[in-house]
Amino acid sequence: MKLKTKILGALVSIGLMMSGCGSDQAVEQSSAEKTFTYGTVAYGVAMENAGTNPHESYSGWSTLRYGIGETLFKFNRSMQLEPWLATDFEQIDDFTVKITIDPNAKFSNGKPVDGAAVKKCLEHLIANHDRAPSDLKIDSIIAEGKSITIHSTEKMPALLNYLSDPYGCIIDVDAGFDNHIVVGTGPYKAVKVTDTQIELVKNENYWGVDKPKLDRITVKSITDGDTLTMAMQNGELDAVQGLPYSSLQLFVDKPDFKLSQTDTSRIYQIAFNFDTPALQDINVRRAISMAVDKKNFTDVLLHGNGTPAVGPFPSNLPFGDQTVNAVEYDLDSARSLLNEAGWADSDGDGYVDRDGQNLELNYLTYTSRQELPLLAEMMQSNLKSIGVKLNVNATDNYKTFLKTGEYDMFSKAIVTAPTGDPEYYFTSHIVPGAVDNAGHYDSAEIAALEEQLHNTYGADDRSALAIKMSQQVLDDCALIYASHLKMSFVMKNNVEGFAAHPSDYYEITSLLDKT
Amino acid sequence: MRIPRALIPYLMLAGTIILIAVFAPCLTPFDPYEQDLSRALTAPNEVNLLGTDRYGRDVLSRVIVGSQTTLCASLLLLLTIVTVGSAIGATAGLMGGRLDVFLMRMSDVFLAFPQMVFAIAAAGALGGGLFNAALALALIGWTKYARLARGLVLTIREMPYIASARMAGASSTEILIDHVLPNIAGPILVTAALDLGTIIMELAGLSFLGLGAMPPTAEWGAMMNNGRSMLQTAPWVILSPGAAIFLTVAIFNLLGDKLRDVLDPKNR
Repeated sequence: MKLKTKILGALVSIGLMMSGCGSDQAVEQSSAEKTFTYGTVAYGVAMENAGTNPHESYSGWSTLRYGIGETLFKFNRSMQLEPWLATDFEQIDDFTVKITIDPNAKFSNGKPVDGAAVKKCLEHLIANHDRAPSDLKIDSIIAEGKSITIHSTEKMPALLNYLSDPYGCIIDVDAGFDNHIVVGTGPYKAVKVTDTQIELVKNENYWGVDKPKLDRITVKSITDGDTLTMAMQNGELDAVQGLPYSSLQLFVDKPDFKLSQTDTSRIYQIAFNFDTPALQDINVRRAISMAVDKKNFTDVLLHGNGTPAVGPFPSNLPFGDQTVNAVEYDLDSARSLLNEAGWADSDGDGYVDRDGQNLELNYLTYTSRQELPLLAEMMQSNLKSIGVKLNVNATDNYKTFLKTGEYDMFSKAIVTAPTGDPEYYFTSHIVPGAVDNAGHYDSAEIAALEEQLHNTYGADDRSALAIKMSQQVLDDCALIYASHLKMSFVMKNNVEGFAAHPSDYYEITSLLDKT
Repeated sequence: MRIPRALIPYLMLAGTIILIAVFAPCLTPFDPYEQDLSRALTAPNEVNLLGTDRYGRDVLSRVIVGSQTTLCASLLLLLTIVTVGSAIGATAGLMGGRLDVFLMRMSDVFLAFPQMVFAIAAAGALGGGLFNAALALALIGWTKYARLARGLVLTIREMPYIASARMAGASSTEILIDHVLPNIAGPILVTAALDLGTIIMELAGLSFLGLGAMPPTAEWGAMMNNGRSMLQTAPWVILSPGAAIFLTVAIFNLLGDKLRDVLDPKNR
């Protein structure tokens, strides 16, 4: 009996010890640590930003958003450039710019950020990244002490803007990229990175004036809106980004929570596939554009968390919506245009047809942005009212369909001015042959204007050209711009220094704190 | 043939659901696909008895039309897997030999996968849509009926009436159609009746995960998916199709149970 009791006791003790050891957090995390748990829908493989290596796809967004990396310059709330890792720049000639680096800047491993480190980082970026080489057009970089001189292959009026794109996060390339972890200069450093979670700890070597205040941060990818809502409600999370709009009202005017909201240049756009014969007729594209009820989309389906878009840029930018015109919502005119184009409901089935074939279009989108399926379903109803049949394919496997060309319209969410400059949007989505020109829109006017924009210095002149380009796209009805997004963070009341930024990519900063 | 009294209430309930599904377009108070954003998320009231969804569509109308989509797809799927599975199983049992070994090892391979996990993977790979979701479930669902039919065939294969048929010169196909299938149909039908509820749940489950019916099709699982972010703010959007699934599955399960009791010789 005694032996049995001893064995039982020993087993219980071992069990207790094991349960204590089972959790890494229990060992590593002392109760005195200030921790912060952040839930977001914006991190993950579907967003192409899993990992923290800024030289891979859109992972730089994660590097920047979660306070791991910093760029040479950054955007203020008016999307104007400000020094960050750099202190100053000098435009030597149309092709050459000299950037001076902050003498105090250092990486999280303690290594100082000098010209040589920045040169190595940028060279690695243009050697490995998909978009950066065509954006930056760097010919050579000369490192000299605490400065670099960049010589471009052509005039680069927006070079500093492009360098402030998240892919421009300055990292210590020599420290490597093991386990998707990079060494940056931000207030926090990644210690564990998976496709669904990033664990961060305070960067004790942070060079900035405001030191990081939290010891440990966990960024969790929670793509299900309800899970996110309930995790926030039951206190598992300190802050969230990407709550379903219908859930936001649960946190408004509640004493335990607060919201931070801002307008961003994220837009929901629909590209017409110019390879589809029916859509090569501008009257058909115009009719479809006229049938989209943008106001109700933003007011009702987005619960006011968006503004109806005219063009690609929001009105807080000088080349934004206030400067361009698009077709208005008008179902009668839309029907007339379809008739002019030879499409009429000859068989009385409710859909317009021509040569015995209904006007039936395949609409491709994805679900990881909650607004897109809503837009798709509303579009389906809107187009039905003018006799166009829309088959929605909402799949996160959308890239396969993009490759095979099995779509007539493609809807996506993008940030049109992440660099505060309009050129990025045109070069990535609009000019002939652009990487993300999903509609294969090919306009000689746009190509010529882009050439001009690319060689024009001065914000006003660049804005004027951007307005012309946006208007050309709208006149051609090449894309439909549905809505600009208002970004919302919900956080516990004791969270400080966590505010939504118009750029959509500064989230965790050294100001973040819990009181 | 008299219908056993115990079955009548369940048959009536199941019949009512089937009648609703058949005559759904005539029973809806509103067009289930007509969007009216000005009436979005209206709580249940005397006009919209089950309220409206985020697009202002009448939820009751969509639940009624959804019964057609859900039941029709489930019944077709069930019919497919019962027919194909039974035919494969009966053939394997009757023919024996290498064909039997091949068909049963093939079913073993499919049985090794958890059914729903396989269906999710297959539906995802096929690209979603109600047809693909049903196909994904059919790909793995036939094995159960193949096993059952084979087992039943093995028990009757050596029966004197089969031997007599063989001696009379009947071909394997004739034996299968004239003597085997009629004698194994009873237990298979009972199993199928019991399975209908499960199939409704599985199809709705795939739609709930976004792998089934595509917008704007009114299908109960898809409707629940559409309303899941509103469980706290507009619960009627998700609860109405949820209740429809619950009631339908419960009724068909009870009918299946009763049918089994009635047809089981031990209970006679």
